[in-house]
Amino acid sequence: MKKTILAAMMFLLVIVPALSEETITVKGSDTMVILAQRWAEKYMQAHKDVVIQVTGGGSGTGISALINGTTDICNASRPMKPSERDKLKARYGSRGVEIKAAMDGLSVYVNESSPVTELSLQQLKGIYTGKITNWSEVGGPNARIILYGRENNSGTYVYFKDNVLEGEDYVSSMQSLPGTAAVVNAVARDKNGIGYGGAAYGKGIRELKMKKDAASPAYPPTLENIRSGDYPVSRFLYLYVRNRPTGTLKEYIDWVLGDDGQKVVTEVGYFPIR
Amino acid sequence: MRFLAYLLGVSIVMWGRPVQAQEENASTASKEELEQVKEALLGVSESATEYRGYVDALRKIKVTGYLQAQWRFTDVTTPGSGASHEIGRFSGGAFPANVKNHFAVRRGRVKVNYDNVLTQFVIQIDAIQTGLSIKDAYLAVTEPWLKSFGFQMGIFDRPFGYDVSYSSSMREAPERSRLFQTLFPGERELGAKVFFAPQLGPLSMFRADVGVFNGSGPTSNEYDNYKDLIGRAALQIPIGSEGMEIDLGVSGYLGAIRNNTRYLYTSGTMANGDRGFVVDSSASNLGDGVARTYAGVDAQLYLDVPALGGAVLRGEYVFGKQPGTSGSPSTSQTVSPSSQISGSIYQRNFAGWYATYIQNLGTRDQVVMRYDVYDPNTDVTAPDFLSSNTSGAAGLTASDIRYSTLGLGLIHHWDENVKFVLYYEFVRSEELANITGSPAGLLAYASDVKDNVLTFRVQYKF
Repeated sequence: MKKTILAAMMFLLVIVPALSEETITVKGSDTMVILAQRWAEKYMQAHKDVVIQVTGGGSGTGISALINGTTDICNASRPMKPSERDKLKARYGSRGVEIKAAMDGLSVYVNESSPVTELSLQQLKGIYTGKITNWSEVGGPNARIILYGRENNSGTYVYFKDNVLEGEDYVSSMQSLPGTAAVVNAVARDKNGIGYGGAAYGKGIRELKMKKDAASPAYPPTLENIRSGDYPVSRFLYLYVRNRPTGTLKEYIDWVLGDDGQKVVTEVGYFPIR
Repeated sequence: MRFLAYLLGVSIVMWGRPVQAQEENASTASKEELEQVKEALLGVSESATEYRGYVDALRKIKVTGYLQAQWRFTDVTTPGSGASHEIGRFSGGAFPANVKNHFAVRRGRVKVNYDNVLTQFVIQIDAIQTGLSIKDAYLAVTEPWLKSFGFQMGIFDRPFGYDVSYSSSMREAPERSRLFQTLFPGERELGAKVFFAPQLGPLSMFRADVGVFNGSGPTSNEYDNYKDLIGRAALQIPIGSEGMEIDLGVSGYLGAIRNNTRYLYTSGTMANGDRGFVVDSSASNLGDGVARTYAGVDAQLYLDVPALGGAVLRGEYVFGKQPGTSGSPSTSQTVSPSSQISGSIYQRNFAGWYATYIQNLGTRDQVVMRYDVYDPNTDVTAPDFLSSNTSGAAGLTASDIRYSTLGLGLIHHWDENVKFVLYYEFVRSEELANITGSPAGLLAYASDVKDNVLTFRVQYKF
């Protein structure tokens, strides 16, 4: 009898809570993966009945997962394309719900030893399209510029190509790396290197000031400059869900957009949306 | 292989490290081993850079496909004869004679797309039990400045309406409506088009396509000098921030086919006063173009239904003039011809529409309802069919009968690749109550022909 009662208690203590656990899967942007992990950790600390699984892979991968039904939330560092929306509409009868969760100033890094402190968008475009190949052309030493960037499944790659390169192709000598952290590490080791990525990863190397054109003043990627639009390479970071979120999913998203979630945004190094 | 060898080398060096450290001078060993590791890593890095080039090149090649295997059943009493000859033609293909149920591979598509962002090469083949056929074969080029305007040439979907370009792998009903199967058999066509499709900014809600096509279907060589101009403009308007949207489109088709006789039949009043066809036998008709003109509107409304999920209400209306032949009880002669019409041409005014409602139930299940109507000859209705106007060259035939179809279905998405579809179609033809005694072929239409179809389909998509 005692064994039966004990077994029943074990069932109530172990099995029932496990069954009542709710899991939210999050997939997408590598730029946002650390931010999403911090959100998940903080939220799970306060909500023991919720499990949040976070993986990266790139914005495109996350959007595909949303369409395929293998993730609940897609993190994306770029807006969804019309063709992706069409697939979502066809499968779920919804164009998807777009939630702006944070802002990011896309930082351009050089090695700490580099004398270059600022670039214009035109100069940056020239460097990444191969028209400018030597640091001396932009006020640096006579040395070949070594380019580091992201892989083409990354939202950062697409954003940079669309907004800085204005659609032109990256020069083939650019070394594609699997994450912004890898770009930062590479630039930190290479005195002639240049790379781009999220502000959250910009520790240990120098972030360049950017200017819209040669005649404009240069601005660093600070909250004020990004919100005012003075810093010319900024973007929103998005959460996408298939339909209007309800239940646990809604509670989590509300938390992300609330004071606690936006505090995490600042802690990680991005910029809160309000 | 070189890459794997380097990885193996690095692993061995790293794994062996603690054991050696106990046996050798620590500082000397560390320096030597660090040099070894450094060299190995440099090798790995070089190899990775080399392989990255190959991987980037391979990423441009996208292979997708889907296979639809199905079992169908029809309630027809004697398949393959008289009015029942075409049973199932618009529900996945006509049933063979004396067959009331059968298995088939409806579609077995493999699509290869070399996607170089602004240029594309696409080939799609269809492999089913009756053989192989080409579905798509085209190239597309998008300009690099605005990345909004593009050009496409080859075999591809005609830019008309919504149903034509809506992938069969995504469509909820197993087949397109009778309206679109009649006007655009095979959906594709040989031709060239330009398109305006911005990917970014507020203009990304707009898309326009216009092209010139042979007008002879996707797999036939051109048979006359008349080319068809086809175009569609569409607008996507988001509603609120909850994923809802309304999409609107207008389409036009301006084409013609060559008349190889001097006889052109159009709707009118026959010599005996009945509705039927009148003939224009001017010598100038020989070699002249007979108009094939359509106009259409389409709308798709995407809704969020609380507690259920997304829902779609989709509809299209198309009307115009369709050239064909006289017809018989067994074959619809209003389906757009894929070969030259050697006999007299009959030009009918037609109209058709469909409305589809799809309700998602969670993320895996869907319920679908579709009602579609196709009237191949809007100048006559069922009471106009008489024994006195349904014979002779100017008489009405089964090709002038209006059809409506109600389809009800359930869809279950097993996983991201597999879905099951169960769909039943109630096919209803006009009841020709005034046909008494003759012609024998039309007597079968005195009441609704038994031709409902049940389809069970399994699809694998990758």
